[in-house]
Amino acid sequence: MDTVDLARLQFALTAGAHFSFVALTLGLATLVAVIQTRATIGRSAVHLRMVRFWGQLYVINYAMGIVTGLVMEFQLGLAWRGLTDFAGNAFGSALALETVVAFFVESTFLGLWIFGWDRLNRWAHLALIWVVVLTAYASAYWVLVANGFMQNPVGYRREGGVLHVADVAAMLTNPAATVAFGHVLSASFLLAAFVMAGVSAYHLARRTAEREFFRKSLRLGLGVSLPATFLTATFGGIGFGLLQPGKAAAFNADPARIAQVQAEMTALHGPGDYVPPQGWVSAGGITMLAVFGLLFYLSIAGVLLMLFRRAVYGFRLWHWTLVATIPLPFIAMMGGWIFREMGRQPWAVYGLLTTAEAMSPMTEGQARFSLIAFTAVFAVLVVINYWLLARTARRGPGEVSLGGAPRPTVPERPDPALTF
Amino acid sequence: MEILVLAFFAIGYLVLAGADIGVGMVLPYLGRTPGERREVLAAIAPFFLGNEVWLVAAGGMLAGLFPRLEGELLAGNPGVVVALLLSWVLRDAGLWLRSRLAARAWQTWWDGVIVAGSWGLALSWGSLLSGVIGIAGPPALVPAAVLAALFAAHGLAFAALRLRGTLRHRAAVLSGHSGGTGEGRTFALTAIALAVVGVLTGTRLALEAGSSGSWLTPVILALLPVLVAAQAWVWWTFRHRVTGPSYL
Repeated sequence: MDTVDLARLQFALTAGAHFSFVALTLGLATLVAVIQTRATIGRSAVHLRMVRFWGQLYVINYAMGIVTGLVMEFQLGLAWRGLTDFAGNAFGSALALETVVAFFVESTFLGLWIFGWDRLNRWAHLALIWVVVLTAYASAYWVLVANGFMQNPVGYRREGGVLHVADVAAMLTNPAATVAFGHVLSASFLLAAFVMAGVSAYHLARRTAEREFFRKSLRLGLGVSLPATFLTATFGGIGFGLLQPGKAAAFNADPARIAQVQAEMTALHGPGDYVPPQGWVSAGGITMLAVFGLLFYLSIAGVLLMLFRRAVYGFRLWHWTLVATIPLPFIAMMGGWIFREMGRQPWAVYGLLTTAEAMSPMTEGQARFSLIAFTAVFAVLVVINYWLLARTARRGPGEVSLGGAPRPTVPERPDPALTF
Repeated sequence: MEILVLAFFAIGYLVLAGADIGVGMVLPYLGRTPGERREVLAAIAPFFLGNEVWLVAAGGMLAGLFPRLEGELLAGNPGVVVALLLSWVLRDAGLWLRSRLAARAWQTWWDGVIVAGSWGLALSWGSLLSGVIGIAGPPALVPAAVLAALFAAHGLAFAALRLRGTLRHRAAVLSGHSGGTGEGRTFALTAIALAVVGVLTGTRLALEAGSSGSWLTPVILALLPVLVAAQAWVWWTFRHRVTGPSYL
């Protein structure tokens, strides 16, 4: 592998891990906020316990989303200086707005939600989770504005060899960003819905004590999954109409169109290989579509079955099917992400800057060290994250520490008051 | 104006997150048992999420307002930046994970990771500082060590304001156990020192703004009161001393 491949692999591993965490976070935060709304309005004890249990899974996962996201933000300037030098004035503003419009408030309020559980008025606590959810959406939107610009650069002018923003509105309404935002957001609902349904089905199959708790959770998960599949497919369908010619040609494995793309790009940009890696693009796209098809049927079947209380409590084959389904939406999302990003190659900013040009001048040793170090750390953390999620999910609502008051480890003793 | 916006977030990070990094550095000194360490971590628990976003925002300002400097600073110091990011990831992972399991070995391991990550962060910032002010080779260790010591002192001062009893007594070593006033004064002093380091380092950076500032800066300035209010809500909610362990 040369230096570009090493740097690409590193960014792909970080971004892919980040995307898989964030997808669950976006969807699960929404479900938690919905449950907390129900719990707050009705003062319902079972819903309050549901907030704590699903919120615990959400918080464990959120932490991994943060640490991978932090690395990504700085990796852009570290390993992709060609990109930030060339396009930083244009798409960098979307990243800047992501930090102040979305992430800053999201993280600050999430801290308040986690640690202020019993200190805040319950309506204030409810408002916090909704702000966290909405700013999480905003965060996804701004990141997709930056990514959409790389897929389909609009609203820029080229001056002095670098890009500048010419039309903010065009950048913010870029279909490559807005359609992707709708698609990713709906897919994250679908993902979280199937995670919720699968974990609930596990407890129902094992006949654990929490029958009502998991019956409600199962129904919420499946109930959300169906509209989510329709939304995901709608935005995905519109997205298919917006594919770059190279991506569409590679996906369809159409030799005539591939040759045409190659000829047109060569005429525009000089000699080079302008066809994205066909194997990756078609495998990613087909995986996404096939798994989605399966999820669609599982969702319809689930919504019908959940209407029958006997099935909800006793249909074990269905329960275990739902448990086995948990990894599927993750696989579909990864497939879709590979399809989108591999299909953009060889461009970092489509038609303007190649991935090779986007790289920082770094030595192979530096690229290799950084790849190995981050991959090792993230591999361990990813394994721990999913192990911890599975363990927490299996142990059920009785052993959740979020929102509970941990016993003091140091006995209370009088302490002089703080005076200034 | 762009420079002020960047400085606001960068100095906010140094002063606020400097405290939680410092507490992580002196964790073995403050907390001698796993239970004590958990109580020490409760001092920073509600704040560290809201503190590190200042750096995320500073990074966002670099990307949006100073794209040229972003590349120079990050790609120009690859080793230090990789070390900084790895330390940050490990420190955060340690904070999030250490109390998820009750096993003693698990907690001791992650306590160790928190301490190592915090030292890594402090020393990486110090090395980056050396790089920015143009000191290379072995002499670069001097500014790195000084800044790390400053972070640690700031952490102790913060812990003295947040903890009670024995833990507070240990943390108040810098203020000579002179009580609340002395503790407040020590914290103000270390905070000012960190801010001064931030300003002086900033004067050595090539702060040449990009082309987006004309429309981006007003948007960011308009948002600042919201961001500060969100943070103030956190500080106000957790203004009292720690009374026991938290979620972390």
